[in-house]
Amino acid sequence: MLAPTKNRRVLIGKPGLDGHDRGAKYVAHVLRDAGFEVIYTGIRRTPEQIVETAIQEDVAAIGLSLLSGAHIVMFGRVLELLKEKGAEDIPVFGGGIIPQQDIATLQEMGVAAVFTPGTSAQTIIETLEQLITRPA
Amino acid sequence: MQAMLGELVQLATSGSSDVRQIRAAARLMSLLEQEPQRLPELFRYVPREAWPQPELVLGITGTPGSGKSTLTDALVAEFRRRDADRRIGVIAVDPSSPFSGGAILGDRVRMMRHATDSRIFIRSLASRGHLGGLSLGTRGILYIMGLIGCKTVLIETVGVGQSEIEIAGVADLVTVVLAPGYGDAIQMLKAGLLEAGDLFIINKADTEGALQLYSALTSTLNLIPADETAPKNISRIGRKRPLRRDVRLVSAMEGTGIPELVDVLERHTIEEGARWLAERETSLRDDVRRAVLEDARRRIGSVIDDEHLDSILRGDAAVADISRQLLEAAADVSVNQ
Amino acid sequence: MNDRASTSRTLNEAKAQYEAEIAKMTTRKPEFATASGRAVAPLYLPSEGCEDEYMEKLGFPGQYPFTRGIQPTMYRGRLWTMRQYAGFATAEESNRRYKYLLNQGTTGLSVAFDLPTQIGYDSDHPMSMGEIGKVGVAIDTLADMEALFDGIPLDQVSTSMTINASAAVLLAMYIAVAEKQGISPQILKGTIQNDILKEYIARGTYIFPPRPSLRIISDIFAFCTEHVPKWNTISISGYHIREAGSTAGQEIGFTLANAITYIEAAIRAGLHVDQFAPRLAFFFAAHTDLLEEVAKFRAARRLYARIMRERFKAENPKSWMLRFHTQTGGVTLTAQQPDNNVVRVTIQALAAVLGGTQSLHTNSRDEALALPSEEAVTVALRTQQIIAHESGVANTIDPLGGSYYVEKLTDELEAEAADYIEKVEALGGVIPAIEQGWIQRQIEEAAYRFGQEVERGERIIVGVNKFTSEAETPIELLKIDENVEKDQLRKLKEVKESRDNALVKQHLKAIADAARGTDNLMPFILDAVRAYASIGEICDSLRSVFGEYQEAF
Repeated sequence: MLAPTKNRRVLIGKPGLDGHDRGAKYVAHVLRDAGFEVIYTGIRRTPEQIVETAIQEDVAAIGLSLLSGAHIVMFGRVLELLKEKGAEDIPVFGGGIIPQQDIATLQEMGVAAVFTPGTSAQTIIETLEQLITRPA
Repeated sequence: MQAMLGELVQLATSGSSDVRQIRAAARLMSLLEQEPQRLPELFRYVPREAWPQPELVLGITGTPGSGKSTLTDALVAEFRRRDADRRIGVIAVDPSSPFSGGAILGDRVRMMRHATDSRIFIRSLASRGHLGGLSLGTRGILYIMGLIGCKTVLIETVGVGQSEIEIAGVADLVTVVLAPGYGDAIQMLKAGLLEAGDLFIINKADTEGALQLYSALTSTLNLIPADETAPKNISRIGRKRPLRRDVRLVSAMEGTGIPELVDVLERHTIEEGARWLAERETSLRDDVRRAVLEDARRRIGSVIDDEHLDSILRGDAAVADISRQLLEAAADVSVNQ
Repeated sequence: MNDRASTSRTLNEAKAQYEAEIAKMTTRKPEFATASGRAVAPLYLPSEGCEDEYMEKLGFPGQYPFTRGIQPTMYRGRLWTMRQYAGFATAEESNRRYKYLLNQGTTGLSVAFDLPTQIGYDSDHPMSMGEIGKVGVAIDTLADMEALFDGIPLDQVSTSMTINASAAVLLAMYIAVAEKQGISPQILKGTIQNDILKEYIARGTYIFPPRPSLRIISDIFAFCTEHVPKWNTISISGYHIREAGSTAGQEIGFTLANAITYIEAAIRAGLHVDQFAPRLAFFFAAHTDLLEEVAKFRAARRLYARIMRERFKAENPKSWMLRFHTQTGGVTLTAQQPDNNVVRVTIQALAAVLGGTQSLHTNSRDEALALPSEEAVTVALRTQQIIAHESGVANTIDPLGGSYYVEKLTDELEAEAADYIEKVEALGGVIPAIEQGWIQRQIEEAAYRFGQEVERGERIIVGVNKFTSEAETPIELLKIDENVEKDQLRKLKEVKESRDNALVKQHLKAIADAARGTDNLMPFILDAVRAYASIGEICDSLRSVFGEYQEAF
């Protein structure tokens, strides 16, 4: 089997208090089957924990799953922290329950992609392949 | 690429423990994971003799579900408690999928409370299943952890495959973790672990079956001859290892037995630290040798074809003839590149 | 296994006895008829010569093994409770929504709490940032609870509170509010979900580790048995397990395994099974495969009855009865073509009614996007009302009983659930199975399989992977006011400043002391709540003794 030539390490995690991890686990599983190495951080994480982890693990992208309505605050904080730490080159994507009108807001804030319920695994994988540009 | 390497090493040794150092270290680790054979190149920037080394590299392996991550988490917390300045590294290895090459690295889930502690560096690693280069890659990450000042490094891996046992062998001490309630836990231990282990931990000591497992394990270990050497696939080739067979009961979740365990580890560190440094030197050489062989194998592999195989099968040539021929061909190819 | 007592009656004898019994009971109407005027009997039975298995596997409604229903007259006596889950943002807004729903004909109140409240964090805790009032109402102190139920006579409603890890605190607050209305806890009616095991498995709003959590739950059982006897102390839930992606068989298998764990814990704490079992309630999902869902509910009733009688030797028939609330499956609703969801919910609600549920919540069509708008909630309620009054399915009991397919499915689902229970026991029980991540993995694998089937088009979701449309009609969504967070923080500050802080401190210490010992925690929590201690303070007191649960992966 081929060793990957691109950095294919991706963080998947859930910031905030929502504990429904079906979607996050599904995406992690799907990404693994597409050859990604998924650093899965579990639920109930703070933006600080997620960003520190992303930096230590040298991930090519950060994926956040949010279902509780706290997405604007949480994404905002993660993006802010990445900037503070000089790591804003790490793209951030997300999914969960995010109303259409907020997706535009998130993208303006700097979120690279938002996957709404029903998005196919294929789309997620293809989008991610485009997002991750860092060499190993 | 060379310039970048030097720059990264410089940032990593800046000693400031700030985010740029961490990022540089993380990038170096990715690089060495990808191209483990390049570890020796780093010695151009920091000579090997001057390279900062951890005092203790502890391998933590065992059966799935035995609570290794919780144990690692508890040990990290105890080390931190004893020495607030000590930098600690954790390498958490999970198996790669043999089909897709991907992996889910989930050991951090149980260690999240340390995520924002700047003195703790955790790196999740997929075993990736390639032969030979694996322990060198892990060793590379270990070296970077040493570089940024980690005095203690824990390597956590599931003992289910050869590659995972190999990783455990990169450590100075190997802890094998079992837990009761899983059917016959001792049967589940991958062949080689019973011989390779220095300390045996029975976790979840507060649950039913712990004491039975303790006596079963102790009897089993007593059956292994005292002068047994470690199997060759664990990088301690030919070295006679002192008999340890230390079996302990702990509960990582409750915290019982953990301070005592750390006491033992610290004692071993004082008593054997010098010997470990010498052994690491030997192991490094073994890993480099293996990397060379792996590279050679790949080169020959790139020039072998059906004609060669057919001529052997026809009886026209011996395996040794073809092998020598290919070595020469591979050498020519690289000279002309 | 054979119920000798009832099979010794012939089917005709049992039928005669049953008819005599229900003749004495009230019914909703003097007569029941189809839309075209045909008379409808309470129950339909196999024709002559097919009785053998009937008594053992089906029996009569209200009789062991309860396959056909737990009440003798089921919906002919009384319709299921139409209970719509609601609650968001502030206590005042929720209060208004409750009054609206009560006027519209809801027969019970349901409270949803925000995540900080569910996890025992005050609104001013750092982890609460961005979460206040988002998925439910924010309750920090008794003052918020008083606002929530202002003007609502607690002796006249039945209130279901979806609260788990911090259930003891919210129940104490409810009791304290009733006290202020001059109402004794002896007559309070309602439910707390209080099912911590499924939190570790599927929902994630846990606080303490499993064993101390079971202690709290046993304390609640004991306290309510004595002081709040009409209260349903637990709603053992399969809904969330199903939402997380489990199969129907896993839904009931893992739920009943959890039930067994709770019952064993209560017995270990010194209660007799018949003391608390009659008050146990369950909560399931209703998905769109209509017939599988109906079979699932019937299988659950029969399996539970067997477990209670044979394993736990319960003697009170009320202990054998699986009473359950159903919610239509949120995860089945799609963001695409939201109007399709109204149709899905209708089928799912029908499944729950045909399956004999005691109460039902129907989801609103915009559920995949956000908390529901008032208009969407009304449609969801009307769905239940139309099923109740226009479809005719409530005119007879267990109308699908006797269908070859449904009976076969019932048998299969019962066997599958029993098998899961056995597997969990082999691992040492639910708690070890959770700690090893085994149950979670079964569910994740089922979810993955399902997702892949959808990806490959093997499983069709209308509007998502087939029959899609380009133009998405925008629908009006409920937006949470961003001032909610600010207001809540201000209110909390005011309460903390105006209460007797020395008294609060005293009570908090008493809670920690009781936690270290074996006293029932409820009276101590009640004292603290009355003094306006906050939920965060009370839970921190308990955290200091019990610690916090660490996720298993």
